[in-house]
Amino acid sequence: MTTKATTTTEIHLSDVSKTYRVGASDVHALRSVDLSIEPGQFVVILGPSGSGKTTLLNLIGAIDTPTTGSVDVGGTDLGSLDETARAAYRRSSVGFVFQFFNLIPTLTAAENVELIAELTDGDSGERAEETLGWVGLADRVDHFPSQLSGGEQQRVAIARALAKRPPLLLCDEPTGELDFETGRSILGLLRRLNRQHGQTVLVVTHNAAIGQMADRVIRLHAGEIFDDRHVDTPISAEELTW
Amino acid sequence: MNVLSRKLLRDIGLQKTQFVAVAVTVFLGITMFGASYDSFQNLQASYDATATQTRFANLTVAGGDIPDFVSFAESQPGVESVDTRTVVDLPFDLPDTKLLGRVVGIPDSAAVNLLSMQSGSVPAPGEIALEAHLADHFQLGTGSTVSLLGPNGWVDAQVSGVAASPEYIWPAKSRQEVLTTPDNFGVVFAPEADARKLAGLEQPNQAVVYYRDGRPDDALTAALTSAAAGAVDVYTREEQPSNSALKEDLAGFEELSVFFPILFLTASGMAGYVMITRLVQAQRPQIGIMLANGFTRRTLLRHYLGYGLAPGVAGAIPGAIAGSLLARVITGYYTDIISVPVTVVETHPVAAVVAVVLGIGASLLAALGPALMASRVTPAESMRGFAPIGGGRPSIIERLVPAASRMPIRWRMGLRGIERNPRRTISTILGVVLSLILVLVSWGMIDTIQQLMNFQFDQIEVQDARVYFDGPVDESAISALTTVDGVASAERSAQIPASVTSGSNVLSTAVIVLPADTRMHGFFDAHHDPITFDQNGALVSQGVLDSTGAVVGGDLEVTVAGVGSITVPVAGAVDEPLGSFVYITFDEAQQLAGMPVPATAALISYDGSVDASTIRQAILDDPGVAAFEDTEALAGMMRGFMGLFYAFVGVMLAFGAAMAFALIFNSMSVNIAERTREVGTLMAVGVDRSTVSRLVTVENLAVVLIGVPIGLIGGYWVSAAALASFQSDMFRLTLDMRPSTLILSALAMVIVALLSQRPGLTAIRRMDLTRIIKDRSS
Repeated sequence: MTTKATTTTEIHLSDVSKTYRVGASDVHALRSVDLSIEPGQFVVILGPSGSGKTTLLNLIGAIDTPTTGSVDVGGTDLGSLDETARAAYRRSSVGFVFQFFNLIPTLTAAENVELIAELTDGDSGERAEETLGWVGLADRVDHFPSQLSGGEQQRVAIARALAKRPPLLLCDEPTGELDFETGRSILGLLRRLNRQHGQTVLVVTHNAAIGQMADRVIRLHAGEIFDDRHVDTPISAEELTW
Repeated sequence: MNVLSRKLLRDIGLQKTQFVAVAVTVFLGITMFGASYDSFQNLQASYDATATQTRFANLTVAGGDIPDFVSFAESQPGVESVDTRTVVDLPFDLPDTKLLGRVVGIPDSAAVNLLSMQSGSVPAPGEIALEAHLADHFQLGTGSTVSLLGPNGWVDAQVSGVAASPEYIWPAKSRQEVLTTPDNFGVVFAPEADARKLAGLEQPNQAVVYYRDGRPDDALTAALTSAAAGAVDVYTREEQPSNSALKEDLAGFEELSVFFPILFLTASGMAGYVMITRLVQAQRPQIGIMLANGFTRRTLLRHYLGYGLAPGVAGAIPGAIAGSLLARVITGYYTDIISVPVTVVETHPVAAVVAVVLGIGASLLAALGPALMASRVTPAESMRGFAPIGGGRPSIIERLVPAASRMPIRWRMGLRGIERNPRRTISTILGVVLSLILVLVSWGMIDTIQQLMNFQFDQIEVQDARVYFDGPVDESAISALTTVDGVASAERSAQIPASVTSGSNVLSTAVIVLPADTRMHGFFDAHHDPITFDQNGALVSQGVLDSTGAVVGGDLEVTVAGVGSITVPVAGAVDEPLGSFVYITFDEAQQLAGMPVPATAALISYDGSVDASTIRQAILDDPGVAAFEDTEALAGMMRGFMGLFYAFVGVMLAFGAAMAFALIFNSMSVNIAERTREVGTLMAVGVDRSTVSRLVTVENLAVVLIGVPIGLIGGYWVSAAALASFQSDMFRLTLDMRPSTLILSALAMVIVALLSQRPGLTAIRRMDLTRIIKDRSS
């Protein structure tokens, strides 16, 4: 584990609102959110279903655009980017980890990681095996997803997100599909990567217990931040229980 | 309406394009079935009604001892009527043209082969009735005058009316000359006494026999044929040239009524299967919930069969109606074009019911597999929501060629995607294969007919025109033709009607006599390689050999009415697409017959200095010339005849393209739908949409490209088999498909595949990433 993230990323959300049109009614997913996240922080975003936490993550990841307000990441106003520039931003600056792993079943663990490198910057993906080593899968590189457990699949998904060495890792319910032990192991991995590589990690979850391991916990309710506090002495993932 | 029915309708609404594609394919198949089967039935009924109304002869006997035959025939209990008549081929002089025509005598109280008068009246002595095709082409009618060349010179005859005859619905001159044009063949009907005078005969030369109620009777036919042993030609109603040509046509309709529906219904079945399988997989959690809440497996089976039933009903019922309506149009158009005296257009309710049952049955069959799959779902497993993850492994190419595993991952992904869902891959490949078969069968026919025309008129009949004299001529008449401005050369020729016999097989044909060094007629073997004409014996069309069982190196007995029989060695076989003849040189004919064979016609070539119509007029002005047949005009007219055929085949091509589109569209749509989350993930991590579109396109196209060579081989094979079924002594059709046809068909399939995935690619462009990556069912 020698490679470091090459850039640091400061995140600023200013008066951000997001409204979805669902049928005949408007759904306010976020309401006037102001938020700043410093580089290298491990942030857990908590909230019940429908609180706006995934929307917040999607806005920072430039998967979605705000209805009003601005999202600035590393000095770039994401709202000013067109589709191509947003794809380039995601390519260079963000790694995504999803709840459902979303691996390509016809590719091996190594190929799932290499593919992203190959498609995004033409890199042959020599870092794939190294990255899989970071997530503890050095001996599983030639296994197909169907030959891996849920936890191993999520580790491949994390390796895939890290393959580009992004300064920002966005994780949406990364333990949602995993059992307790496996989930805790994945959280430990994310924390370790954050500490060793200095990446900013944002974890969205409804599991309040996970907040204990973060540098900072942001609580959302009905599209608004109602609690935002720093954790003075975060515990290790191994100590978590839920 | 119960809840499940509402769910069914709403699900269909959500995937309406794919359901419409399946319904359209069913519709096309059933329309084709209805149109071709009903047309076949209507035309059959029209011919049968015409035969009954006109008392179409069951047996015709030409030459031999007619009075003796008639007395035998009249003594047979199965014979209802026997007529005798005179039939003779003579030069006609029409306003502005001359042609070699046929005079058919009408007995005083005709009881067989009755004329159906289209206008005017049955001819009185000194008058003639024109056959409808001749009258239509030259715009002649009652009151016109036609000159006929009898033994004592030209005789003027007044036209009393226009008639249709069951013997000339398709105006074939003989079984060997089925494709005639009004410019080189026409028929008139004259009172028997006049016909006999024109023929210069004392006795009638034909007998026509009508069986009890016109019904076929093989035993009676055998007895009568045996009694007509000395005849030049004996043929049944089925063998009669016009009827035989029409029956071949009819058989084509019957074959189409089976072939195309099978093709389309198979295609719709596959499209439906792919679509409903995907739907069941996507609805596994819903199925689990329904089972958990007490729905029986039988209820679920019925519910998912409904997804097949709906497009089946939507396609089959309108298809049956459209097919029936189209059949009426086709029947009316067809019988009008070829002047069938009686047109029967009927509704065939049984055929309509069969069509609907076929369409719905095919769709239900397609739904059966996925519906059974739905009914066997385990509720607990399905409600967890994960569709079973596909088992990955290297593609077969990577396993066979280790170097392939070093290809870029996106290529490897495409290769493995082909094996990811074998059933869908196979169904897509089958769809491509079926579509190519449909396209190539149609296109192969066009190619073959065009090549056939080119071969016949550019390599075999290389003369620019054929000149018929009104009797035997010597060399000076031939030489005289070369003095006409624009004529480069002339060769003597004779065409002698004859019957040829080998063993017990007899065939009515013509012996064509040409100079040994002819440059006007080409002779080719089965491989289209030239053969020498100047040999000991005759060159014989393959059709004659096939019909008589004679072989190269063997003998044929050639009988010329009123002259006698000679034995002719078969020196070689010639491949000719149109007609079946015996070719012999003048020298060989003289040697075998023991007497000189005079020329009755000449083949001429132009030098290009004068236009063809001027040459034609100059030659026709010679009183000794009976007819002039311009090869280019004949070829042009024959190509013109093919217009209808091309239109029909063009519709087939369009249908093939539509079917290919529907089938590939559904496979592609499902393929893309199954990849939604993968595609969404790739885009979320920054892969741009055009790269993702290319990945999906390459994978889909790879499957299509696997199907293309199989389809080309299959299409070629089916085309050859379809054309072989047209083989007879009248036509010899062997598949002659242009390489460009194969290339263009393959390209067309690729283009259809590219177009058919456009909707899917558009969906990728409009993909809502925020939903896709969170939605476990996507």
